[in-house]
Amino acid sequence: MISFAIRTLRHRKAGFAGAFVALLCAAALVTACGMLLETGLRGEVAPERYAGAPVIVAGDRFDRQTTRDEDGDVKTKAKPLSERRWIPASIAAELRRAPGVEKVVTEVTFPVGDALGHGWESAALTPFTLARGRAPRSDDEVVVDANFAGTTLQAGERAYRVIGVTAQALPSQDTVFFTTREARRLAGRQGMVSAIGVFPSLGGQVKGAIAYTGDERGAVEFLGAERSRTMLVSLGGALGGTSLLVAVLVVVGTLALSVQQRQRELAMLRAIAATPRQIRKLLGGEALLVSAAAGVLGSGAGILLGLGLRSRFVALGAMPANLQLVVSPFPLLAAVAATVGAAWAAALVSARRTARIRPVEALGEAALQGGGLPRARVVAGVLALAAGVTLTVLVSNLTTEAASSPVTMLTALVWTIAIALLGPVIARVVTALPLRAPGAGGFLSAANLRANTKRMAAVITPLSLLIAMTCTILFVQTTMGNAAREQAAAGVKADHVLGSGISAAAVRELPGVLAATEVLRTSVRIDLDRYGAQAVTTEGLDRTMDLGVVSGSLQKLDERSVAVSTTAADRLGVAVGSPLALTLGDGTPVRLTVAAVYGRGLGFGDLTLSHALVAGHVDDPHGSVLVAGGDRATLERFGARLPVEASGSNPAVTYVAMGLIVAFCAIAVVNTLAMSTAARTRELALLRLVGTTKRQVLRMLRMESLAAVLVSTVLGSAVALVTLTAFSMGMTGSATPSVPPLTYLAVIAAAATLALLATSIPARFALSRPPAEAIGARE
Amino acid sequence: MTDVVRLDAVSKIYGRGQGAVAALREVSVGIPRGTFTAVMGPSGSGKSTFLHCAAGLDVPSSGSVRLGDTELARMNETALTELRRQRVGFVFQSFNLVSALTVIENITLPLRLAGVKADHSWLAEIVRRVGLEGRAGHRPAQLSGGQQQRVAIARALVTRPEVVFGDEPTGALDTMTARDVLTLLREVVSSLGQTVVMVTHDPVAASYADTVLFLADGRIVDSMAAPTADKVAERMTRLGAWK
Repeated sequence: MISFAIRTLRHRKAGFAGAFVALLCAAALVTACGMLLETGLRGEVAPERYAGAPVIVAGDRFDRQTTRDEDGDVKTKAKPLSERRWIPASIAAELRRAPGVEKVVTEVTFPVGDALGHGWESAALTPFTLARGRAPRSDDEVVVDANFAGTTLQAGERAYRVIGVTAQALPSQDTVFFTTREARRLAGRQGMVSAIGVFPSLGGQVKGAIAYTGDERGAVEFLGAERSRTMLVSLGGALGGTSLLVAVLVVVGTLALSVQQRQRELAMLRAIAATPRQIRKLLGGEALLVSAAAGVLGSGAGILLGLGLRSRFVALGAMPANLQLVVSPFPLLAAVAATVGAAWAAALVSARRTARIRPVEALGEAALQGGGLPRARVVAGVLALAAGVTLTVLVSNLTTEAASSPVTMLTALVWTIAIALLGPVIARVVTALPLRAPGAGGFLSAANLRANTKRMAAVITPLSLLIAMTCTILFVQTTMGNAAREQAAAGVKADHVLGSGISAAAVRELPGVLAATEVLRTSVRIDLDRYGAQAVTTEGLDRTMDLGVVSGSLQKLDERSVAVSTTAADRLGVAVGSPLALTLGDGTPVRLTVAAVYGRGLGFGDLTLSHALVAGHVDDPHGSVLVAGGDRATLERFGARLPVEASGSNPAVTYVAMGLIVAFCAIAVVNTLAMSTAARTRELALLRLVGTTKRQVLRMLRMESLAAVLVSTVLGSAVALVTLTAFSMGMTGSATPSVPPLTYLAVIAAAATLALLATSIPARFALSRPPAEAIGARE
Repeated sequence: MTDVVRLDAVSKIYGRGQGAVAALREVSVGIPRGTFTAVMGPSGSGKSTFLHCAAGLDVPSSGSVRLGDTELARMNETALTELRRQRVGFVFQSFNLVSALTVIENITLPLRLAGVKADHSWLAEIVRRVGLEGRAGHRPAQLSGGQQQRVAIARALVTRPEVVFGDEPTGALDTMTARDVLTLLREVVSSLGQTVVMVTHDPVAASYADTVLFLADGRIVDSMAAPTADKVAERMTRLGAWK
């Protein structure tokens, strides 16, 4: 059967080109996602600053929680911390006594503008050596790295003299060395250090800290890498899963179309000698061959795509440049296996009907298009509808973006699958409407659509998918962005925002300033779940921001209390007065009391803490300052901006990733339309022979495509609207998603243009042959 | 002479209840070995259903269909397929060939599907008899309509079937080509002793047969030995409602 399949493939290249392209894209997407996923799971960051120390002893990078389930099994879950966990300096003394240790170097790390500051004693960790000048001796002297230009350095309110320059510079960070004493003062953590370097080796465990070696040292150095690894895992998983589902949907469509186009031949085979099993084997064999070829080529292309995605993510700041992409055979193998599996499943689905049908019926049906919808398909369609409803309800109850985004995509996809399964029914209902365009072309297209509802259904699926996915992806972001912006705009009462490096106390002294609030952004974990948080100074808070307090009061916010957004309060089941245990960004556990519940969580973060509590537990304690009143000109000297924007995830990353899915859907649309038009060469030639002009034929095809676009727009928009409404209800509490009308129209116009081009180009090609010749050609 | 195909009280009813339509009503007939039989009748007389039931392409609603000693009426689809590819040959009106395969591959397709090796001398003999020497490597698209039907006949013969069924095998051909194809079928019966059953509505085509069976309203109403085109045409005008 395989050799037979090879023959058919060679002969019907055009018929399989569509499936091939779809599978190729799927393989490329799965490979790229696999690479991101693997990088997220196994990717390592080479140390820079700590490259010279064989062992780095530092705080645990994870927040761990140990639970005991009913069976008594102990499970430990770990989530990465967002800030550095400092360790007591006393550990250094214990390490000096540990076996194998000859030298111990303590290190503090703190931001100095865009650079990182350290004490000169820890230069050996890289190691940094002096090229010019000497080590700092007095507290106003600094040593800078080879990249630094200038003779003085401003840090906070003090100025420092550059006394020495190192021979080295690090690729992804600027470094400044102070005297040990000044560094400790600037770091501001009494008796704590950020890391301890141990030379040349360390035997045994360390109490209260963890010893890191090899590339683990890089993970200690670059905490951001951990966050982007988590991002890569979830993004890679969501994108890969979505593209695989889209691929199955598209490939089932294209293969079904190609099977449908040679139903007559398959019926003849059934009549003369082929058992249903042999037909299934033939179609399965063809799918296997096409998908294996597409899988191999596509996974090759996927490597390039993965590298491209990485550089986009690095450019967007979503991924550190020194997090190397893990390249291994696993994503390639997974992609080939996934494509082959998807194609094989798709072939079995499309072969089912053809293979089981009695040859006599098949011979008749081939000529006569039609027959009812198989019951299994209707059942599957109804199940998909039920799944769509369930997911929609689920989405409307999800209140975190991390959970809601992937489920939202899945919901749109499942609705589209239901449409695909019930497509012929929908097409029959729609074409039964007594609508038609004027003229001969209009008459013909209406007649064609009515006679061949299967063809229409095959076109509707990818078009609806394209419209539904594009709208969902775009408008999830606008809905979130809009809600956050609206809340922030309504909530920020300050007139100016000052950048970091200035204290609220200093600003309050300026003439005309009514109030100033220092704001820090951080994240905390409650039961390992991550919550975005802001830390604010409470003095004059009511003049700079209005969080929309529902109950309690922010006046009482201090180091022992917390304010919670309504969504977070619902999720956590807390109210004013409830105790709340949380883990600060650097892993410090605190027990607080809920002082207030507020409405504007999207604009300001789910938790609001006091600045005094948080400032000592973040890597960069310099946030921004909201200023009410004050003189514009004076404030501008401090770098004042008008208050705008709010927090939120980086939508550009989502657009890049989900743009691939949209592109894939677009390819599927072109594919399906081109295939279904090219298969009609003979019919078009007949129309020409009986006196239809080329213009009339093209008009007829355009009308048919526009009808499909119209139906798909209605279906796709309905799917997107239902999904987005559910998403909006969950995330913002309002049932109205934000849909910019121009963007929406642009999406529909783009889909229509794509559909028209994909019809008229192959049609022109088909019409370019003399009709008398074309009609004699094989089917 | 023994009967290769034997139908006993075969009825075929499509649909159920009020909408039921009887395509065959209690048809009983035997097709003797080594004969050329034409089945004639007006549209809707049940000719195609007769052929499908006799050939194991369709299962009768009641009655018995025997091919040699095998009862077909109670076989399942896979068993019927295997029976068809070993013991029955088919020539359809059109769409007989797989366009991806060459002439010789099309001819040997039933053997390939059955997993049987081709008998080369027999294959050469068939190709010679149907006049396709030198065209073995061509594809169907490169052949004329008559040549395509010859390929179909060769394919029908390659398994040495007990009977070859033709469903309007000349229906899509011009008269000259049709005559060649009919002459070939006649010769297959006369010189190879093959049994052929052909459904047609063309009296000229029927005149090549040994016997013509006339169907009307699902019943065999007459048969004619040593037919001529004129006699067949004359008989046809008095069938069914016109008698």
